[in-house]
Amino acid sequence: MPSTIETYFDKLERTRVWKSIFRSGKGSSTLHNALAIQQNVFLHLFPTKVRKRMLGLGATWYLGTLTLGTFLVLVVTGILLMLYYHPSVPQAYSDVKDLQFIVSSGLFLRNLHRWAAHAMVFLAFAHMFRVFYRGAYRAPREFNWVVGVVLLLVTLLLSYTGYLLPWDQLAYWAITVGTNISSAVPLVGEKIRFLLLGGHLVNANALLRFYVLHTVILPISAVLFLAIHFWRIRKDGGLYVRESEPGAAAAQPTSEEQKPL
Amino acid sequence: MQTHKTGIISSIKAFVRDPFRMFGIVSVVLLLLLTIAPAKDYFSQWHGYQRQYLRFIQNRGDAVTLRRHFEGGIQQIWIPQLGVVDRCQTCHLGLTEASLADVKEEPFRAHPVMPHKLTEFGCVICHRGQGAATTVKEAHHSEMAGEEPILPARYMESSCGQCHQEPLEGTPKLNKGRVILSRYGCVNCHSIVLPDGTKMEASDNPPPLTHIADKTTREWIYAWLKDPTSYSASATMPNFNLSDADASDISAFLIANSVPQPGDTAEVSAESHGPAPDPSAGASLYGESFCASCHATQNAAGNLVGGDLGPELTNVGTKVKPGWLVAWMRDPQKYDPKTPMPQYRWSDAQLKLISAYVQSKTNPDLLANVHLAAATPAQIAHGKKLVIEYGCASCHEIPGVPKSDNFGPNLSRIGSKPVVQLVFLPGMEHTLPAYLAQKIRQPRSFGSSFRMPRYNFTASQVDEVTTALLALTDRSFSLPANLQLAAVHETNYRPAGQAGQIMTSLNCLSCHRINGRGGDMAPDLSWEGTSVQRQWLDDFLKNPNTLRPALIRRMPRFNLTDSERTILTDYMMTVYQTAAFQRDEMPLTGYPPELVEKGRQLFYSKYACQSCHIVNPNEDKGYIGPTLTKVGARLNAAWIFHYLKDPQALRPGTIEPNQHMSDDDARALTAFLMAQKTGAGQGAKR
Repeated sequence: MPSTIETYFDKLERTRVWKSIFRSGKGSSTLHNALAIQQNVFLHLFPTKVRKRMLGLGATWYLGTLTLGTFLVLVVTGILLMLYYHPSVPQAYSDVKDLQFIVSSGLFLRNLHRWAAHAMVFLAFAHMFRVFYRGAYRAPREFNWVVGVVLLLVTLLLSYTGYLLPWDQLAYWAITVGTNISSAVPLVGEKIRFLLLGGHLVNANALLRFYVLHTVILPISAVLFLAIHFWRIRKDGGLYVRESEPGAAAAQPTSEEQKPL
Repeated sequence: MQTHKTGIISSIKAFVRDPFRMFGIVSVVLLLLLTIAPAKDYFSQWHGYQRQYLRFIQNRGDAVTLRRHFEGGIQQIWIPQLGVVDRCQTCHLGLTEASLADVKEEPFRAHPVMPHKLTEFGCVICHRGQGAATTVKEAHHSEMAGEEPILPARYMESSCGQCHQEPLEGTPKLNKGRVILSRYGCVNCHSIVLPDGTKMEASDNPPPLTHIADKTTREWIYAWLKDPTSYSASATMPNFNLSDADASDISAFLIANSVPQPGDTAEVSAESHGPAPDPSAGASLYGESFCASCHATQNAAGNLVGGDLGPELTNVGTKVKPGWLVAWMRDPQKYDPKTPMPQYRWSDAQLKLISAYVQSKTNPDLLANVHLAAATPAQIAHGKKLVIEYGCASCHEIPGVPKSDNFGPNLSRIGSKPVVQLVFLPGMEHTLPAYLAQKIRQPRSFGSSFRMPRYNFTASQVDEVTTALLALTDRSFSLPANLQLAAVHETNYRPAGQAGQIMTSLNCLSCHRINGRGGDMAPDLSWEGTSVQRQWLDDFLKNPNTLRPALIRRMPRFNLTDSERTILTDYMMTVYQTAAFQRDEMPLTGYPPELVEKGRQLFYSKYACQSCHIVNPNEDKGYIGPTLTKVGARLNAAWIFHYLKDPQALRPGTIEPNQHMSDDDARALTAFLMAQKTGAGQGAKR
């Protein structure tokens, strides 16, 4: 009985509670659709209008979205992993072993986190190559390109700090080498290394610092820069299409393409 | 170009254009991918082993019992206070099944009989490896976090040594290895701190080199340094692989650095010009003095015969100077205050005999090709530099060269050294035991700059030392207090007074143990005063005869003066008493004949003592225990009584069985034994 359900929804949308949450109001006009996007805290970061053509695979290969997707997978699996993991020297490694050997689907969880991390690095690079070769970094999108570069760095740092957490030999030496590299920075190199490790050696302090970086500081900065990144897409005129650039203005888009979402 | 588009590309295009189809297909692919997780769990290695086990026990006679004991899923031994999380039993399913002892192949074998319960310590404490892992590779061989791989079975005794610092009956390898660490002076350079905080002590008695020039020649030192085993096959001194020039320089330094000791050389001329003594008389004095109890010599077949408390004497004539030898045999402690050698109190004539006999043991080939030019000051200085570099003073006392502490790396926790911290030779097995064995066998194979010398160890000795080193783990330091079984350490007991001086010069403690200090060659004398009668002790010191005819070693005669003997006897009778009972609580004589007769019957029938002891030399055949023909004139009645009641209380470790005798039986046997005073077998079976 579709009419009943429709009535039910109608009633629901007229309630005060609903109206207090969704402020765009009822209706399916372009304005209503635009408002639905613009007045939602999550969606308002995105453009209110998108060319339909830009939603096809060929336009972006979805590389940015996929990067975001892997990031979300990492957040979810990461939080689940945190339920089992203690960032302490005697327990870190055995916790990872427990995840691997006896926690139900622990191995799946850990592997999913790991492969998603690899995928995110790969996809971030692919996204940047795509943007670069398409020329989408040019005005007015220079700032968003810079934000993207920062996000790439955050991605790499997340990957690097996560590497220490299993606390095995591979991790230990990778961090030893990595922090030694950071000490090569002129003048403040040693200070940076000391700051990263919380001391002069890769030990319990370093493990704790890397854990906090990996689970708090870097994810929060990533979310922050992601928000800026998405919001700037909207402010810079939506996804880049060659036709929207001044040089390509002659080519008129078809009416179908301009139809709003 | 359009015409060359293949079907695949066009179908991909169609796929991409239709979001609904794309969504559906991607969802199906994702679902398939998600099934990997449970599938991986189901096909995991341990599941496989558990299925294999169930198939394996199906056809056995004990299948019902085994199946009842079987529990599926991850099995785990968890002992939080020991940090044990062992999941080995997930695959090793038959460990506690006694009926699977016949199974040969792992992982379903029953565990061999062991002194501890499996649930008490788990697996990893003894076998090492990763208890938490549930795959063979990770459990047995993982070293990603500096863990230890499975310990090869030949070194298994080392695991006992993590808790047990005292020698155990079941760990001969470990015990021997620990003895080697002390006996060969390993702990002089490498300090080894035991979990109870004490340091492992060396027992190698390295001679001081303070007066070395009095004792021997530079040529001998040179030959010895080049290869100690060329002089003595049983040398505990290692080979430093010195070049000819270095050995020459060190010998020059040692001779030049030696301080002459008055009395070491004074008699050289007087002694060497005497008439040649009878060689056979020297040999018999050497035998009578039981020199061979401590010193070995090589026989014609090339085998070493004799004890190892003192140095081997096969070629000693090539080494020592005649005058020094006489002075040494007159009073060894004058040259080396720490020597275990007793002062024999030989007469001048005996000294001449014995020193000439010992001096005649030579190997002229040893020094035949050693010709050293007089040393220059530069060579001597270079010699000193080498002596410091090679850490000679870690073992030997050398004037002007201080002993450096921690000359070699500290080995207190060597058994837990992570494999990643070791440098291996090409082709070597990458494990800690293999590294240690190679390091002991050929220390310099890891590089010519290494200073560690090469010991002349046999393959089994290398195994023993490796076992002892592998016992020095981190875990032994972190054990709960109730599991730390400390070794019994030597006390610093010294006998006091005049008797103490005599006993020090006789070095009684080299062989006897008194109040927790001393050797294990001869009986413990801590309670000797309670045990024996005064007259017997006095006679024994005058002329020690053997109580156990089956033993080759026996106490030498020390030519004590009457007054020395009286002092010693008085001291021992008064001081060396047990507090457990009174020596004189039972009389030495005057037991009624019927009690003696009852004791005789008990001796021969109920307890069958004659199977190990002899009372009637004509009939009894027991050679295991001491002869009892004159025991009534030797031991005190109270001692015999209490010893019969509980032998191990008075002599810990004795093989005399504890028969849990009644007081009446013990008293009757005491009466019978106290009747044996003259050796005629009084009251014995006729």
